[in-house]
Amino acid sequence: MGDKDGKSSPSKKNKKGKDMDELKKEVPITEHKMSIEECCRKFNTDIVQGLTNAKAAEFLIRDGPNCLTPPPTTPEWIKFCRQLFGGFSILLWTGAILCFLAYAIQAATEDEPAGDNLYLGIVLSVVVVVTGCFSYFQEAKSSKIMESFKNMVPQQALVIREGEKMTINAEEVVAGDLVEVKGGDRIPADLRVVSAHGCKVDNSSLTGESEPQSRSPDCTHDNPLETRNVAFFSTNCVEGTARGIVVCTGDRTVMGRIATLTSGLESGKTPIAKEIEHFIHLITGVAVFLGITFFILAVCLGYTWLEAVIFLIGIIVANVPEGLLATVTVCLTLTAKRMAKKNCLVKNLEAVETLGSTSTICSDKTGTLTQNRMTVAHMWFDNQIHEADTTEDQSGASFDKTSASWAALARVAALCNRAVFKAGQDQLPILKRDTAGDASESALLKCIELSCGSVKQIREKNKKVAEIPFNSTNKYQLSVHETEDPNDNRYLLVMKGAPERILDRCTTIIIQGKEQPMDEEMKESFQNAYMELGGLGERVLGFCHLLMPEDQYPKGFAFDCDDVNFTTEGLCFVGLMSMIDPPRAAVPDAVGKCRSAGIKVIMVTGDHPITAKAIAKGVGIISEGNETVEDIASRLNIPVSQVNPRDAKACVIHGTDLKELSQDQMDDILRNHTEIVFARTSPQQKLIIVEGCQRLGAIVAVTGDGVNDSPALKKADIGVAMGISGSDVSKQAADMILLDDNFASIVTGVEEGRLIFDNLKKSIAYTLTSNIPEITPFLLFIIVNIPLPLGTITILCIDLGTDMVPAISLAYEAAESDIMKRQPRNPTRDKLVNERLISIAYGQIGMIQALGGFFSYFVILAENGFLPSILVGIRLNWDDRACNDLEDSYGQQWTYEQRKIVEFTCHTAFFVSIVVVQWADVIVCKTRRNSVFQQGMKNKILIFGLFEETALAAFLSYTPGMDVALRMFPLKPSWWFCAVPYSVLIFVYDEIRKLLIRRNPGGWVERETYY
Amino acid sequence: MAKDAEKSTWKDFIWNSRTREFCGRTGSSWGLILLFYLVFYIFLAGMFCLTMYVMLQTLDDYKPTWQDRLGTPGMMIRPRGKAMEISYNTTNTETWDMYIKTLDNFLSPYNNSLQAEKNEECTPDQYFVQADSGDVKNNPKRSCQFNRTLLEKCSGLDDHTYGYQAGKPCIIIKLNRVIGMLPGKDGQAPFVTCGAKRYKVGKDEWKEDSDKIGQVEYYPENGTFNLMYYPYYGKKAQVNYSQPLVAIKFLNITLNEDINIECRIISNNIPPGSVRDKFAGKVSFKLRINTKG
Repeated sequence: MGDKDGKSSPSKKNKKGKDMDELKKEVPITEHKMSIEECCRKFNTDIVQGLTNAKAAEFLIRDGPNCLTPPPTTPEWIKFCRQLFGGFSILLWTGAILCFLAYAIQAATEDEPAGDNLYLGIVLSVVVVVTGCFSYFQEAKSSKIMESFKNMVPQQALVIREGEKMTINAEEVVAGDLVEVKGGDRIPADLRVVSAHGCKVDNSSLTGESEPQSRSPDCTHDNPLETRNVAFFSTNCVEGTARGIVVCTGDRTVMGRIATLTSGLESGKTPIAKEIEHFIHLITGVAVFLGITFFILAVCLGYTWLEAVIFLIGIIVANVPEGLLATVTVCLTLTAKRMAKKNCLVKNLEAVETLGSTSTICSDKTGTLTQNRMTVAHMWFDNQIHEADTTEDQSGASFDKTSASWAALARVAALCNRAVFKAGQDQLPILKRDTAGDASESALLKCIELSCGSVKQIREKNKKVAEIPFNSTNKYQLSVHETEDPNDNRYLLVMKGAPERILDRCTTIIIQGKEQPMDEEMKESFQNAYMELGGLGERVLGFCHLLMPEDQYPKGFAFDCDDVNFTTEGLCFVGLMSMIDPPRAAVPDAVGKCRSAGIKVIMVTGDHPITAKAIAKGVGIISEGNETVEDIASRLNIPVSQVNPRDAKACVIHGTDLKELSQDQMDDILRNHTEIVFARTSPQQKLIIVEGCQRLGAIVAVTGDGVNDSPALKKADIGVAMGISGSDVSKQAADMILLDDNFASIVTGVEEGRLIFDNLKKSIAYTLTSNIPEITPFLLFIIVNIPLPLGTITILCIDLGTDMVPAISLAYEAAESDIMKRQPRNPTRDKLVNERLISIAYGQIGMIQALGGFFSYFVILAENGFLPSILVGIRLNWDDRACNDLEDSYGQQWTYEQRKIVEFTCHTAFFVSIVVVQWADVIVCKTRRNSVFQQGMKNKILIFGLFEETALAAFLSYTPGMDVALRMFPLKPSWWFCAVPYSVLIFVYDEIRKLLIRRNPGGWVERETYY
Repeated sequence: MAKDAEKSTWKDFIWNSRTREFCGRTGSSWGLILLFYLVFYIFLAGMFCLTMYVMLQTLDDYKPTWQDRLGTPGMMIRPRGKAMEISYNTTNTETWDMYIKTLDNFLSPYNNSLQAEKNEECTPDQYFVQADSGDVKNNPKRSCQFNRTLLEKCSGLDDHTYGYQAGKPCIIIKLNRVIGMLPGKDGQAPFVTCGAKRYKVGKDEWKEDSDKIGQVEYYPENGTFNLMYYPYYGKKAQVNYSQPLVAIKFLNITLNEDINIECRIISNNIPPGSVRDKFAGKVSFKLRINTKG
């Protein structure tokens, strides 16, 4: 194996695409089918002596260290550049470059070029750089939290080389090494087991199976993932010991292949990035259209080509919303913070919104939907099934504990049990305590400890005399104990195991504490209970006991466990107990919420179909009353093939079936079933499922914690990993991490994501609106030659000053309706910024705002002596520095500087007017459908924003020195009120518009103006 | 494949013959939205006109609402030259001909005959106040004569070249009109004085051409603006107002060199202008007279 890889590695780079396909295929391990001798030959090793040190060193050089190549981390500067030049920034950079270009043209052609374009270019660049730094540090902060998850402890491995056992760093393990593992160890590489003693491994992070799997030297399955004689790198050995030959190391291990597959996957653009791209297209379209139109107009009006080009650039740049990048970044950051508070850590700022757009959630089962902890769920005694409390906080219903049968069952479960609590955990709640031992025994231990008190005391009272541990041939475990009663010298034999095997050994059964003979009727009811519990996907154990007759087994009898010298037949059946990894308490509710939010929840698990289906039913992924094809078949008693698949809304699909499905069949299943469970899926298949959903146009979220989930996490539009139980690989691959491992946090994420999408719309609508009153002055300046009504500096004061806080405050706006009751947005139809938003912002509200600004402009000029009638065409003289006796409408004469002060006062007034009309605009933008009176003014940040922008405007106008610094001049109080009628008009107009939208749903007004 | 599909959708977007849509809208849809915008904009225009009308009603016909930006009246010269630079060659008529024409045009309304016809003789050295009595406007207001002959050698009547040909050019200085401005108090009339202008030649290096200006003559005498021409009542009330002028004549200015000259108004009732405004209460210009071919 190593040889092959060594040869193929040079061609790897050339065929990267092929390589990825290769990785998507199933695991190519074949050693499990070889005999041990063949295996040894292949790796030049010895089954007793192990490798020689020289060989090991040689192999180490050949194969490299046994560790996973860390995913190629993007250098920090590239990450930074991505922030600087990604998405929205491109628009601003283009603007800045155009500005510099215009300035260069001016500098080359004019003696005293106006600095405006230069300043604007600089400001644009600064804005991009500052915002870029901001988001870079935001994300760096998240990744720092990520780093802290990393487990830095170096792993050790016990290898046998030249016949000597030695502990070496796991990194130095090579193919062919003979390795020994014991309970609690992490498996250092992919092993072909050569001998095992009660060895069990926890494969949950690789396959998703919640139960530990036993390992033995025999090949039990063709599939290397299912066979018992292979143990996988980085899984855990739970108990027992095993010895194996290393067959793969490092990236060639199964785990390594998944990790490589994951890091090789390209995740697509986030939905919000696509939306921003669309928005840029729209804005650029409008800007270029306006620019070209006025370019032609300017040329027709007799401007020189150069002047016209500068106007063209000016108009295009004026369309760039300078503040929007910052606004969007801050809005997303605020939401990310809010989500982090609710235990959703977002790694990538843009992913904040993705959950809101999500239409399909593919959830892993183990650890995500379930607690990843076996728990006793049901018991059968007294010929009745009793339900145990499986909730995490023990809030569920309890059962009748008074029955003598229960006491007997509890005693058997406590005694015939090798699991113990680890020391020093007395303060912790029982369910939270760590145990040493098998998962199902731990479950029993906790169950008994909860209902009957200290198991330790029970065991102390009933001293253990002999024990036969579980093995796969017996399928039972038994132990012999002294009784509690010191006068009773009989021994108590307790046994647990596979229910049918236990039943075979029983002749009586306890009912209500009394021993009764086991009749056929009893056997049948046992069968029914067994079937029922098995059908729930639970792991069922049978329990029985026997008080050994004193005459045959007197005190001091030497029980021989190897060569059994006592009876193991004719026992008394006590009951059944069944265990499951129960769903988390909050999950059913969360699934229900997702469902009502129009999100399809698909379960994708490596676990068995029955367990998967039971959990799916438990958490509502398969809702009550919905049947799978198999259910319908068994109900109607017809073969599965005769059932119309369309009748079944739910379906459970096995991984092996999935393998044989064509792409069309796959699409068909995903399209036609609303409730789908995929069981026994491999990591590669999880990836295929995600790709299938994406092919159908869904925005897919994947939740998972295991390594097996990570390719799917990476491929998904948003991968959600578990913060506590999640593996490092999965956290690396994910975009979001649920710090409390609670699936319910996803609902929060969806809600916040949808809210921010709505609020970003509002924020953008608000910000874009003021673009019109900012552009039109320049247009009229060109076309009708009036003194410039609004200058570059004042435009920047609006975009980067007064507009900022109100725009950001809209991110705090409460939802207008229950956003969790509507369908997810359709990414092809529901755009962040659409034509209607532009139409409203530019064509309607913006125009009113522009008129408000122009009105104050005309008021100031007129009150200073320049009536509107003489303004048209005045520009040439107005801007002529040498003309210092320009006559106004009253016959007075003005120097250049005097009239410029009036002009700058006009700029200030225009600016203040925009602030005034933006008051109305921000109130109007609070809602898209509801009236403001329905929505209320509860957004405190917004109210603060209103005051803040007003105060800032006043500050800019009245602070001494501003005339020199920003060329802004104090306004007469009356000039503040010029735009008020227009402000009122905006409010009234939009309220009427929204009223019409509410009155006529789907009507013309809604079709044309609802954004 | 994909490219073809894109192309056809793009074409479809412009004109979709199947649905008869132009740019994504049918004819009636376009009609409705355009009609909406037409009505909407007509309404906005109406509203704008209304507010403008209301605003214009608040204005006084004879005096602007605010005059605070005109505290210090500006000063200006004639001829203006190009960007306040007067340069010509005495030997080349074409270089100064335009200055003569400018001055001729500028001074023609001041011809004695015209002045006598339109304006009246006022009492010199005191304001010619024509107050309104309450709401009753005392209109039209009369204006005082400013006869061209007051400019004597610079009137262009005797010397048609205003001294330009001889290298002794006349520059006419005027004070910007400001309604209601009273430029002097206690009967002291404001006057113009010209001198060299300090100008920057390098960092912290200043220079002035005082020794090169030579002798300057002012007309009327002392370069005063007589108080009888004030106050000004605005062009609507005082149609025939004749703005008083001061002419200066450079008698022996250094030739073939750039000379920077600054003239200021000296008055006890005009505040000094802002530092930034180079033309408030003063005017500076550059003069260069070449004699060589």
